[in-house]
Amino acid sequence: MREILLKIDKLKVKGSGKEILKGVNLQIKRGEIQTLLGPNASGKSTLAQVILGNPKYKITQGRIFFEGKEITKFFPEKRAKLGIAMTWQSPPAIKGVKFSQLLARISTFGGSTSREVAKGVEPNLLEREINVDFSGGEKKMSELVQVIALNPKLVIFDEIDSGLDIKRLEKAAKIIKKELVDKKVSILLITHSGAILNFLKPDITNVMVQGRIICREKDYKKVLKIIKKYGYEKCKKCKLLAG
Amino acid sequence: MKNVKSANYWQVDHEVRNIFGVKGITVLPSPRAWEKFGWTRKWFEKKPKEGYFIWVKKQVDFPLATCITIATPKISQNLNNLLVIEKGIKAKAIVTCNAAENKLCGKHRAKGKLILKDNVSLEYNHFHKWGEKDFVSLDYEFILGKNSQLLYTYQNLFPPENLQLKTTIYSNENSSSKLNFIINGLNSNIKIQDIIFLKEKSAQGIARLRLVGRENSRIEAISKIFALAPSKGHLDCRGLLLDRTAKISLIPEIVCQNKDAQITHEASIGKISEEELTYLRMRGLSEEEAIDLIVSGFLNI
Repeated sequence: MREILLKIDKLKVKGSGKEILKGVNLQIKRGEIQTLLGPNASGKSTLAQVILGNPKYKITQGRIFFEGKEITKFFPEKRAKLGIAMTWQSPPAIKGVKFSQLLARISTFGGSTSREVAKGVEPNLLEREINVDFSGGEKKMSELVQVIALNPKLVIFDEIDSGLDIKRLEKAAKIIKKELVDKKVSILLITHSGAILNFLKPDITNVMVQGRIICREKDYKKVLKIIKKYGYEKCKKCKLLAG
Repeated sequence: MKNVKSANYWQVDHEVRNIFGVKGITVLPSPRAWEKFGWTRKWFEKKPKEGYFIWVKKQVDFPLATCITIATPKISQNLNNLLVIEKGIKAKAIVTCNAAENKLCGKHRAKGKLILKDNVSLEYNHFHKWGEKDFVSLDYEFILGKNSQLLYTYQNLFPPENLQLKTTIYSNENSSSKLNFIINGLNSNIKIQDIIFLKEKSAQGIARLRLVGRENSRIEAISKIFALAPSKGHLDCRGLLLDRTAKISLIPEIVCQNKDAQITHEASIGKISEEELTYLRMRGLSEEEAIDLIVSGFLNI
């Protein structure tokens, strides 16, 4: 049996005074690929940010464990160093700092391997300022290169597929497979569409609605089919409903 | 010293430690230049006590280097510097003024006149590094001849307790000046005044200020452009406040006396974005490292 890498236990979270996560339970095993589907504002990105320790959110109840150790109160940098990484849906621009500078700072490989990956992915990004005037696709690729540079154990992809054309999506999926999946890195894919799932084939599919994970199912195709047919609201009444 | 490719001037306290010119470049202490070249009296106003005189008459392919240091406690320097570059020459200067130790309580006052004759191009890199108890006052005037170009960068990441910085540019026909002021305030009182006079037609001037306010710093910057002829100018003043004990005041002023001139300005003071900070921390940088990286980007003009 594979070891549990991330465990989230009855997590309740507030942001700007409003309860966003209302008791989330989630477990991800080492080397496992899971996906998290859900409508807009259901709490998916908040969950990702909370796992990484964004101080903007307040945990009111519940705990987060990584490799058996409680990390609920850890700073973001400590979580990153433990091996948790995420790609941002809308990463901020950092003016005056070159992408290559950041890569060199964060890379546990001393910048060389990630630089090679960056060259292969988007060679023109290296000498540009981080996320300044990057196109939607360039931002996603820059995020992907950064998480690879961190040599992570778990990567949360927050809508890495949105804004990518089919060619870039295929390219991103191939890199994720080669640099992460094949190296037994665990993955949580937050997505709206099923396209990337066809490339990465998740072991478990979760559905989040109104701050709760209401569905946990092995067959992603089945879940996608139900969502397509009934929409997320009707997921609540689905027979696959998580206990 | 044959074949040495440099022209330099090095002064410690009041003593000239090294002075070296090459064919086509005269380097002298200012008092000596006052005596030797009568025409310099027009620029020095009165007989100088100390400082350097550099007269560039020939194109060279290496930078001019000067270094003025304070090394003795409570020393008080009073410098008059003059740099004259003859027509059509392209030059680069690396100018350093510093304190050898941190708590000398020294004074460094410098008045400078920099004369760029017609068709001159000068890149002037000015670095300051002071001790935390020093007093520094700088008053520099650049006179730009026809078609001349100036790129002036003043960088001070180690400020004294008190810094007064005055820079004035007189721009003649078709000349252009770009001024960059990169200043880090920490336990210091800083007053900056830069003025660009666009005197003749087609003159251009840009001043960029990047000011960082750390603990117990007060920074007051007045940045002005006067357009007296059909010309173009722009002020870009930005401040970044890193501590609640810091204060930055930015006053851009544009004055137009010619209907065909075009002058603009932008000014902003902000703090470090929490989102940027969190983003970098999620990449494994500590809060301090993330702030340093963001500030280095802000200061990178």
